[in-house]
Amino acid sequence: MLHTRIEPGEIPVIHLEGEIDLDSVETFRWVISDAIRGASEAVVDFTGVTFIDSSGTGLLVRFCLDYKAQGVQLRLRNIPPVVDDVFSMLKVRALVGDDAFLDQ
Amino acid sequence: MSTRPEDTPATLQVMRYDARRGTLSVIVGDPADVPREILARRAVEAMRARSFICHTTDDDAQLGADEICFIPRADRCEIVSIHTNGWHRHHGDHRRSLVEILNDLAAAVARGTLSFLDGEEIAALAAEGTELFACTIDGPASLRQARAAVAQVLEQHGVGQDTRRRMELCVSEATTNVLVHGGGGGGTMRLRLVGDRLRAVVADSGPGLNFMNWTEEAGGVYQPSMGYGYKIILDNLARVYLHTGSEGTTLVLDRTI
Repeated sequence: MLHTRIEPGEIPVIHLEGEIDLDSVETFRWVISDAIRGASEAVVDFTGVTFIDSSGTGLLVRFCLDYKAQGVQLRLRNIPPVVDDVFSMLKVRALVGDDAFLDQ
Repeated sequence: MSTRPEDTPATLQVMRYDARRGTLSVIVGDPADVPREILARRAVEAMRARSFICHTTDDDAQLGADEICFIPRADRCEIVSIHTNGWHRHHGDHRRSLVEILNDLAAAVARGTLSFLDGEEIAALAAEGTELFACTIDGPASLRQARAAVAQVLEQHGVGQDTRRRMELCVSEATTNVLVHGGGGGGTMRLRLVGDRLRAVVADSGPGLNFMNWTEEAGGVYQPSMGYGYKIILDNLARVYLHTGSEGTTLVLDRTI
């Protein structure tokens, strides 16, 4: 189960809590698309994420690259070790660039 | 009407040369039109050299594959061949991404992590040991159930959190593949105790793996997609066994506990 909350603003922040897998990947997709609409930058806060798999990671990489190609920056912050572990396995930093990561 | 190369799916073919019998069998893929004599000769050369040997079509068009790897063992030689059917001439980055994934598979075979098995071999592995848990994989909610079962069994056996998480992740990836690539019919996940190993057997009766689905386009660049899941599985487990064919796909994941 994935719970989401959008903190609106010039740079919207998307707070995530729970598990990101095939069951929740559509929620993940929807909330990011919704939050980023009209913005030139958005932040995804992973503080409460307890699980992520390749479905969620693949979607995130896709979003980062697609938005970057449109001039929109998606930044990631507060990556817990369980998520960072998967990002490391899949070389997410190399794929999306270090500038996508905040405060780490 | 002629078939365009970009309409033809890429395929992976896995063969095994048995040095004792002098026979070559096709484990994964279509057994038709396999250049058996040439492959057997190259397999013997690799076994004599005791060396992992890879060719590309630029090196040797006789072999009929874009990439072909010979992986010698004591009594046999595994042969992994990758056919992209000319995709590289049309979709450079897609082809690179695809070949990267398939080369990862070949490397996993070479280091002994991954074994491609035929239907009988995988069925024998799936029946070994004692069954601890079984569930149907029939929708995304099944993934949490599968992960919870793995966590519970490993916790009961005193396995540490880091190992538990990694095995949960691998089983989650395997069961996700059932839902995404299993042809819509769902599948099963069984946990078995085999000696000091926890064995997860994840099976579907779908059409078999189509390796062309292992990449996707993002931001104008092709990246691994399904390949991500297999990368996680192969990087985190000591032994993985795979059978895929027109009757379905079975993945056996072993982790020492």
